[in-house]
Amino acid sequence: MANLRKVFSKIYDQYIDKIYRFIFLKVNSQEVAQDLCSETFLRTWERFSQGKGNPIENPQAFLYQTARNLVIDHYREKGKAQVVSVEFTPIIDPREDLEAEALRSSDLRTIRVALAELKEDYQNVIIWYYLDDLPISEVAELLDRSEEATRVLLHRALKALKNELKQS
Amino acid sequence: MITEKELIGKLRELRQIRPSKDWVVLTKNRILGQEEKIELTPFSFWKPALATVTAFGILFGIFAFAQSSLPGDLLYPIKKITEKAQAVFVSETEKPQASLELANKRLEELTKIAETNQVKNLAPAINEFQASVSEAAKNLSRIDATSSDPVVVKRFVEQAKNIEKKAKEAKSLGVVIEDEELEELQEASNKLELGLLVSVLKNMISDLENRTLTEKQEEILSQMRELAEEGEYSEALELYLINQ
Repeated sequence: MANLRKVFSKIYDQYIDKIYRFIFLKVNSQEVAQDLCSETFLRTWERFSQGKGNPIENPQAFLYQTARNLVIDHYREKGKAQVVSVEFTPIIDPREDLEAEALRSSDLRTIRVALAELKEDYQNVIIWYYLDDLPISEVAELLDRSEEATRVLLHRALKALKNELKQS
Repeated sequence: MITEKELIGKLRELRQIRPSKDWVVLTKNRILGQEEKIELTPFSFWKPALATVTAFGILFGIFAFAQSSLPGDLLYPIKKITEKAQAVFVSETEKPQASLELANKRLEELTKIAETNQVKNLAPAINEFQASVSEAAKNLSRIDATSSDPVVVKRFVEQAKNIEKKAKEAKSLGVVIEDEELEELQEASNKLELGLLVSVLKNMISDLENRTLTEKQEEILSQMRELAEEGEYSEALELYLINQ
């Protein structure tokens, strides 16, 4: 059990930032992102600690899948209404270089809003490939598509994002 | 119009979205923490065997530490228990030696207390010493000097005398030791000394009887026998030595 905890602790450290960001970009609320993210890891831990032998073969896939499901559930409950406006949501917690942050944030906010408007598959493929730096093969695995189909999806997603930005 | 490269660059900037460190730590503790805390308390995550070994280690440490305690100290009873436990394994023939050593140890403790002026420990130390002297005297008085190894008996006598001497020194430091027990010891050691003399003399006489003697020597031997029968052992021995 102590060993399991150690392994999970490593998984937590490795993925907490990514999963949080993944959820945050979809819900655009720090509060909701924190709630859903901790729920994601709690469920993963429960599953992980109950399993015998090799509890979860692919923790990354399991975490993203759990996070996706929780985000979907969240929107289903809220009737797709966003709890907090994107405009008022800080990207990160207050830091010392607030000024530098302010300069960038308007630009980033625009792209964040645009990304949030995309359909789920487009969001996911962009986050996994460009933000998480996952290789196409892994992205394909997460999407349960072929690598070729994933490349096509990525191309379309980027195009859709450009269109969104043009509109805004 | 934004180029694809610029767009990708901007997307990458979104990486700075991060949860607050405090929240990350807090959440981890909430998920794993409680059980982790239990893990950190000693004994619970140690294997029972290790806990047992540690417990024995601590016990052993206390026993070892108690050996340097003085009468009246908190750990002194443990020292006594250890000595009593050791005494169980001492055979009947080794008892006089063990009790003499113990009496000597008690006397050393007493001297140490007297020298360092630990007033509150003085009374128990004196009691301990007197009891040990009494025990040693009892063990010595049981010895039959005539049937024992003279070398061993001689050693007992010397040790008893040594204790008496040191006790006198302690008295000179102002320690009030009652004479009763010391006298018992002295009596026992005197008796042993005498027994030693008798056995030496007896050996000598029987040795002489087995030899071919001159008339003069025969006469000396008969005088020695007479003296020995009268209890004049020293004189008998003297007679032999003078005419040697």
